[in-house]
Amino acid sequence: MSDQRNIRDHKRRLLAAKYELRRKLYKAFCKDSDLPSDMRDKLRYKLSKLPRNSSFARVRNRCISTGRPRSVYEFFRISRIVFRGLASRGPLMGIKKSSW
Amino acid sequence: MMTRVSLKNVLSAVINQGAAEARAWIFGHQLNPAGNKTPHKILRMKLFGEKVAQWYPHDIKKDDPLVMARQEQERLSKLEMLKRRGKGPPKKGQGRRAAKRNK
Repeated sequence: MSDQRNIRDHKRRLLAAKYELRRKLYKAFCKDSDLPSDMRDKLRYKLSKLPRNSSFARVRNRCISTGRPRSVYEFFRISRIVFRGLASRGPLMGIKKSSW
Repeated sequence: MMTRVSLKNVLSAVINQGAAEARAWIFGHQLNPAGNKTPHKILRMKLFGEKVAQWYPHDIKKDDPLVMARQEQERLSKLEMLKRRGKGPPKKGQGRRAAKRNK
């Protein structure tokens, strides 16, 4: 199950990277108030015709190990549970239990 | 605008075009005195799609067909064991969700 969700998210990421420049240009043209209104409408239609999964808002940072969608550290790309286990055993570089 | 930044050019820009224009020229700002809606904020952001696409690392196991075949064999043998014990997956139309739907 976690593998399926990670695969789907990975596909969304690749699609977002593929359509990034086009989406950015369409959005910029829609926002430009110097262009005439019908051209902006046309470009807005083109923006809506891009695939839905190419939006960056649909990308979800998931744990690369378990697929957990919440409490994922961006630096380590793992969730808090996996992080705690790995931190206890010591493979994470630079991580040490605090004691003072 | 002008090509070289020097004190004389800056002062002449201040005199001719105003302090705001000179400041925008010096620091590379985008002037918008009327407050119009511009796409400048969208266009100045750098592209980050490739960094987003590299979130998941490449799993080296999936390159090895022997490892994948052994995992599949393990899965099939486990399924056989479950079926023998009567704990296998239900047939189509006889699961919990389908039974709830037929009710």
